[in-house]
Amino acid sequence: MSARLFLASMSALAFLAGCRKEESAKDAPIVLGVPTALGTIEGQDSLRAAQLAVSEINAAGGLEVGGARRKLEIASIDTREAEAGLPVNDALAAMEKLVGEKKPAAIVVGAFRSEVLLSAMDLNARYKLPYLCTIGMTPEFEKKIAAGYDKYKYHFRLGLNAPYLVGNLGKALDYVHKKLGLDKLYFVHQDVGWAKGTAAGVAKAAQAAGWTVVGSDAYPTGSRDFSSSLTKVKAGKAQVVVPIFDMPESGVLVKQARSMNVTALFAGFISPAAPGTAWSTFNGEIDGLVNFVFEAGPIPLKTPRSLHFNEAYGKAYGEEARLKLSGHGPGPSYDAVFVLAEAIKRAGSLDADAVVAQLEKTDMEGAIGHIVFNKNHQAVYGEDPKQAAASLAFQWRGGKRVVVYPESAAESPIEVAAK
Amino acid sequence: MSRDPGRRRERLDRGIKARSDDIFAIASIRDLAYVLLPRLLAVLALLAFPLLEAVVSPYWQTVILNTLVIALLALSWDLLASAGLVSLGQSLFVGAGGYAAGFLNARLGLSPLWTIPLATVGGAAISTGLLFPLLRLRGIYFGMITFALPLLLMRVIETTGFLGGTEGLHGLTPLPGRTAELYLMTAAALVTIVAFRRLAATDYGLVFRAIRDDDRTVLAAGFHIQWRKAQAVLLAALPACFAGAFVTHRFQFVGMTAFALDYSILPLTSAVVGGAGSFLGAVMGSFILVPLSEVMREFGSLRVVLYSLMLLLFTVVLPEGIFRLLVRKYGQFERLAPLPEAGRGR
Amino acid sequence: MSESILASTLVYGFVNSVALMLTALGFSLTFGLSGVANFAHGGLYLLSGFLAWMLIHWLKLPFPLAALATVAAVGALGAVLYRVVLRPVRGIVLSEVISTFAVGVAIIELFRWKGFTTYDFSLPVFVEGGVEVFGVSLDWHRVCIVGIGLGLTALLWAFTRFTSTGLALRGMSQNESTALCLGIDSDWAAMLSLALGSALAAVAAIALLPLGIISINTGYDALLVALAVTVLGGLESTPGMMVGSFLVGYATVLTGNTIGPRWNEVVYLLAIVLVLGLKPSGLFGRSKELEDRV
Repeated sequence: MSARLFLASMSALAFLAGCRKEESAKDAPIVLGVPTALGTIEGQDSLRAAQLAVSEINAAGGLEVGGARRKLEIASIDTREAEAGLPVNDALAAMEKLVGEKKPAAIVVGAFRSEVLLSAMDLNARYKLPYLCTIGMTPEFEKKIAAGYDKYKYHFRLGLNAPYLVGNLGKALDYVHKKLGLDKLYFVHQDVGWAKGTAAGVAKAAQAAGWTVVGSDAYPTGSRDFSSSLTKVKAGKAQVVVPIFDMPESGVLVKQARSMNVTALFAGFISPAAPGTAWSTFNGEIDGLVNFVFEAGPIPLKTPRSLHFNEAYGKAYGEEARLKLSGHGPGPSYDAVFVLAEAIKRAGSLDADAVVAQLEKTDMEGAIGHIVFNKNHQAVYGEDPKQAAASLAFQWRGGKRVVVYPESAAESPIEVAAK
Repeated sequence: MSRDPGRRRERLDRGIKARSDDIFAIASIRDLAYVLLPRLLAVLALLAFPLLEAVVSPYWQTVILNTLVIALLALSWDLLASAGLVSLGQSLFVGAGGYAAGFLNARLGLSPLWTIPLATVGGAAISTGLLFPLLRLRGIYFGMITFALPLLLMRVIETTGFLGGTEGLHGLTPLPGRTAELYLMTAAALVTIVAFRRLAATDYGLVFRAIRDDDRTVLAAGFHIQWRKAQAVLLAALPACFAGAFVTHRFQFVGMTAFALDYSILPLTSAVVGGAGSFLGAVMGSFILVPLSEVMREFGSLRVVLYSLMLLLFTVVLPEGIFRLLVRKYGQFERLAPLPEAGRGR
Repeated sequence: MSESILASTLVYGFVNSVALMLTALGFSLTFGLSGVANFAHGGLYLLSGFLAWMLIHWLKLPFPLAALATVAAVGALGAVLYRVVLRPVRGIVLSEVISTFAVGVAIIELFRWKGFTTYDFSLPVFVEGGVEVFGVSLDWHRVCIVGIGLGLTALLWAFTRFTSTGLALRGMSQNESTALCLGIDSDWAAMLSLALGSALAAVAAIALLPLGIISINTGYDALLVALAVTVLGGLESTPGMMVGSFLVGYATVLTGNTIGPRWNEVVYLLAIVLVLGLKPSGLFGRSKELEDRV
């Protein structure tokens, strides 16, 4: 009996010891937390882009904070948010684990799904950590900051948001309408907030510009059969189809369109058709597809920073990884680390309020273009990479990705194959 | 053990167990301790844990909170299983309670003090209502339905955009601090354990077990099976909906992922690992499984693989469950005894 | 509805129904012949897809060989599944369901953990190109699917009616004790029916997955489809399963073309819930009512 008592008390002590809080050292590296869906290409590539930035800063001697130079370190955790069977609370618990155990000074990349992002903001408001998100696109992010500035001021977004995407799509469609004379449109989008909002916004703008919207279908995440929409596209003789998806299954849309002989121009965002290796994955079926790269980087702008990012990524992770770079996330994630580093340097300390005040004053060049934040902490996007951050659109032609938008960066305008 | 034909394995009660059975335990402090100490220590550990805030990191507090949530769901599963209803969809209750609390808080502006009790009762009523027509089914049909129903509700919410749709309801009122959360959950768990165990020992609980064993006989005895099953579902739904409402306020968010598969698999596995049928087994199972899965969080989906494999292992090889095994070891010992010789009476 | 949408609905509805039937065939066969609800059906379906993919891309086997090898391997796996997992708990319905469910989830999540989540995972179609049917362009692969689905159903119907093995299996499902008296081994019968069911899941996977990509959630979806169709049509009834698959197949395509594709999955789930509520033995099921409910 006594042996058991001894054993039991020892295990209890061991358990408590394991739960103990940890002390932090003065010279310890500054930890940047990355809680995101590492199972997605956007998440994986964003993490690697951030790690690339960190290794570049460390190679240059580290970050200067109030007189001392400290190294940066990334601590990541997979929140698995993109999985269908996962409760959002689980993703938040992963973030709690990261913050509780690794004690980051700030969070970069941030949540993948919009609903997780919005709830993570509430959670982060308790931790008061600078939070630079680059993937989640919902416009609610800015509304929350506007409505509760003091509580949510720690949050910034470098990635593209849905309203800007609407603007980009609208301008690209304008060109197609005016110069190529097409006027019948069909929307096929994912049944999630940002995609629905984007489709609705573009539809409104398009109708005002003179397009006829033949139809708009929403598909739940994970759908693999788009034949009903394609049937209606053919029946309504739509000339342009605008797909808006971030799930890998969306590639099936292109496959089905080919097998159903749908000849419309596809212009939108299909994540599997974006990387450089997509031509061989799809066996050339994506010829003529216009795909948006939400933030420049994977396809670089003609600026030194952007080209440097593209090259360095290729050197660090290999040519195939560079070609496969996802169009949404890596560019701003790389820049987020530098933006944060600059702000910390100017603030002279890791104090969140001081860093946030400096973040608001950000005005620098990055892989995505020129970075400034608006009053709701969203990076400003526009057509001129010298003044704002930029998105690009490219068209697949004969195995190559030809940049077609914005006009300042385009190699050639959008073409529609004569069929 | 070698198969010695002259001997057989037998289990005998330990001396101290025989001495401390029933009222005789009060005869000596040692006997009393034998009976009370395990329970007392467990309860005291649970009650004292929130006070160790200075020593324990907030992360482990979160882990224990999650464990208690799953423990409530596992207890609810156990009650349903003891009535013969195998639920493959505990997440139905979590979603019902969670959305009820979310609705009351976001749309009607009530504070958690009101929303949690109302959501517990309301969510339980709604879930029982949804399941009522299907309670006449026997065997695996109930399992199939409970598997499909949360998925259906998730899709309906997604497509209709009802109650926040894919984005859910967020910015809900939080609870006042970690310590309050821990005590609330601990109290709920302890109350549920005591209530369910007491229930199982009454005649009312006996009818549930009878329904599980042979419902047509119970039908012949004049009981209305569907009503009785509905009552079992209502009682089981109460702690589960409470857990759903609690989680909603803790994360200040409720969305269609409240109906996720994870909330169905984890309690099921905890109850099976701990030992289906003994309510304490379900709690013990969750205290083993949830911290284990947290430790394995780095491994992503591998932890789901591991719990499914554990579930499989325990269902097929060790159906008795860990808790019953421990109770048996605590109260009995085994030995090889010689067989009585033929012809000699015993 | 305009004329071409109608034609398209009819044609695609037909293809969809046969596809659903093919998916559910394995599950329904196992359930009908041995009473085991194989909740690992979805996991086996997914496993077949990835196994075929791995054989084609890593071992560079030609497609027909890879397909055959996959069907054989998964069939064998089904038999092993019975022997190792189901035999110890045979008869305890709760444990059978939980254990097969656990196996299914373990397989599906294992692939998710290993990272088989991107677009690169797809199987090649059987024949490229398309054909026009009633003014609707249909690809050859879909025509093949219809052929395989109908052919396999006919083959199985003949198997259970005219071969001695098939008759033995049917006998076992009708009345176990009598079959045992006649010398049909219950374990062997159950193992065979599970092997057959798994092999059919593999065939369905190889036929259907080339239409899109092998996405992890297909595992859970295949199980849901199998449940919906089997429950709707009724057990032990091939015509019931066929009617069930046509009902669900057409309902899905009709909803997609008229109301909107977001409601597709709601159709399956609603089908399961409604049928189980109103007539649990299904439209054509011949189980006595008291067996199913009190």
